[in-house]
Amino acid sequence: MALPLRYSFRNALVRWRSTSATVLGIALVVFVFVLLQSLAAGIERSSGNTGDPRNLLVVRKGSTAESASLIARQNFQDLRYLPEIARNPQGEPLMAADVLVLVNLPRRQGAGEANVLLRGVTPRGMELRPQVRLAAGRWFEPGHREVVVSAKLARRFEHFDIGQSFRSGSATLTVVGWLEGGGSAFDSECWLDADECRSLFERDMYSSFLIRPRDAAAGEQLMARIEADRRFKLKAEREVDYYRKQTMTAAPIKWLGNFLAVTMSIGAVFAAMNTMYAAVGSRTREIGTLRVLGFRRRSVVLALLLEGGFLALIGGALGCAVAFYWNGYTTATMGFETFSEIVFEFRITPRLVAEGLLFAVMVGLAGTFLPALRAARLPVIAALKSL
Amino acid sequence: MTLSSFILKNALRNRRRLALSISSVAASLFLLITLQIALRELTNPISDEGSTLRIIVRNKVSLGQPLPARQRQVLEKIPGVAAVSPFTFYGGLYKGDEKFTSFAQFAVDPLRTRELLADARIPQEQYEAWVASQTSCILGRMTAERYGLKVGDRVQFTGQIYPCDLDLTIAGIYQGTADDRNLMFHQKYLDELLGNPGTVGTWWVRAASIAEAPLVTERINRAFANSSAEVRAESERAFVLGFVSMWANIKTLIGGISVVVVFALLLVTVSTMSMAIRERFRELAILKALGFRRRELFAFILAESFGLALAGALLGAGGAWVVFHQLDIQKLTNGLFVMFEVTPRMMGLAFSVAALLGVLAALGPMLTVVRTSVVEGLKTLD
Repeated sequence: MALPLRYSFRNALVRWRSTSATVLGIALVVFVFVLLQSLAAGIERSSGNTGDPRNLLVVRKGSTAESASLIARQNFQDLRYLPEIARNPQGEPLMAADVLVLVNLPRRQGAGEANVLLRGVTPRGMELRPQVRLAAGRWFEPGHREVVVSAKLARRFEHFDIGQSFRSGSATLTVVGWLEGGGSAFDSECWLDADECRSLFERDMYSSFLIRPRDAAAGEQLMARIEADRRFKLKAEREVDYYRKQTMTAAPIKWLGNFLAVTMSIGAVFAAMNTMYAAVGSRTREIGTLRVLGFRRRSVVLALLLEGGFLALIGGALGCAVAFYWNGYTTATMGFETFSEIVFEFRITPRLVAEGLLFAVMVGLAGTFLPALRAARLPVIAALKSL
Repeated sequence: MTLSSFILKNALRNRRRLALSISSVAASLFLLITLQIALRELTNPISDEGSTLRIIVRNKVSLGQPLPARQRQVLEKIPGVAAVSPFTFYGGLYKGDEKFTSFAQFAVDPLRTRELLADARIPQEQYEAWVASQTSCILGRMTAERYGLKVGDRVQFTGQIYPCDLDLTIAGIYQGTADDRNLMFHQKYLDELLGNPGTVGTWWVRAASIAEAPLVTERINRAFANSSAEVRAESERAFVLGFVSMWANIKTLIGGISVVVVFALLLVTVSTMSMAIRERFRELAILKALGFRRRELFAFILAESFGLALAGALLGAGGAWVVFHQLDIQKLTNGLFVMFEVTPRMMGLAFSVAALLGVLAALGPMLTVVRTSVVEGLKTLD
């Protein structure tokens, strides 16, 4: 016969004063785990949220990022009139050539400097990226040294307010607007006119092409054609696939989160063991009584395991709740692929919460197992006699 | 029975709890030290003798923007400049590595490398062989050992930044610099592969003396001001610290986590101590009744809690010291961390935290002892 669930719960709650330290300890472990994993989730979400599934992105074979890719100008003409590419009502092919430049700029409040990704775009390129819209100000005008910066970057960098200008090398650019990328990787970019960008930074080559094929089948065909043509040394893939892979930055954060969770949980398991041993110790007579009443050893073990698991679950929930305070908070670090500042949000997903709670329960069970066994092994008579 | 043996006996009375408490303190302090090392490694550039003399000149726009090769003549004429070499980060993927190559490849001028890498030791004939062959390279000892490479082996790289691949022969293995990991090859070879674009990544300059280094940096910056390719010259150390600043909030993050760890530690120790005292409440009351003073009781509690925390520190911090001295951290973390050194300062931090912990954990039980009267204490059964 099993002990009623209420026995475990009420026991866990009645000793709240002595167990609170253990519960808090477990809460802190789960807090650190969930918070770090939510950073990684934020980076993954921002890159997984970027691009239009209909578009193809072309970069040089071998380059891992658009910003490190160089494509000869001749290739633009070679590709532009291929039959697979869709055309707009005016009969122009829907293909854009972008130039990406990294510029080193100072952060606000003297927090050092960082690289910012400048993207030189054409009207066609803007058409093909409907995710990006203007949040404030106006778009740049071709032929002017004007730039539209991401609203999220604007909060982090000096001279990014509308109307201000900043210098990069010998070039001076004026901020005329803020753009909003809808939580995509474009939130970490600044846009300016492609020709202006090429002349300012003396770029003879393009960085990438963005193409809208006529339909999915034409897209497949085009990818195969570019891959096979030895003249090009280019690689075409779906824009969404390209961005989905840009998550190298998340890997060490995930690693750190797991490492900390494991190391901290060792300490937490010891603490939980201490608490549960004390619980068993102070209840020796009660456990003896239960046995006399006919409860089996395994029922006692189960009841104690439930108690430990329940305690840990409270801790886990507390940890998640505290971590949730940071949900949606915007932060930034250097992206490994782009080598520039990437902006993203802490993302506490239901999956992360579930993982955190599961982890907490496991810590609780690991800490309870030995004390529970000890309780089950208590000789009944001696237990009854003990004070 | 002396006082100290009384304390010891008391501490050892519940051995299981003692062992568990010491282990949890030890685990947390181990973690604290690991975090501190990681933070130091990420934010404190490794340096050697030569690095105080070396200056890195990059395009003012950013590292991603190349510099014109013609700047070399101007640089060489600047007073206080002892040697100039191109220093182009090739950033290739080593054949055999899937996604990430743990060492850097730089295109340089071999004739100037000796002056720039003054700490590097390389056999004379290997150096000469490197200078003589344009498709050869020299490799740091750590990387050579890691991949099992030796002189005469061929190494191939796929360009991730430059649209060309490298096929190099190892002419020599160098060692003695602060970071024996990099590969160096001829800038001329890269130029030829790229069709002589007339650009380099950055310039590597050696100042004639340490005193002159800051002046040289300034002179270089001024020499190219208002030119089509303005530069930013800075000491190697400042250059590396620039990278660190790009990590943005990571420092705060690790610092914050360290605080959380210490706090969790505090909770555990406090709860254990109060548990230990609670179960011998009656005894303490008897001691009081026998005429022991409060301060003597305090001493018992404090000594026990302090001893527990210090034992944890010895185990945790000492363990960290032993472990990180034994482990080949470079192999373990895929080259992300090189040194992973436990400094005396970190040990000091761990022990101070432990000492503080010992005192704080004793405070609660002490307070209870003060508050409870002898009669009350004698009445408790638990």
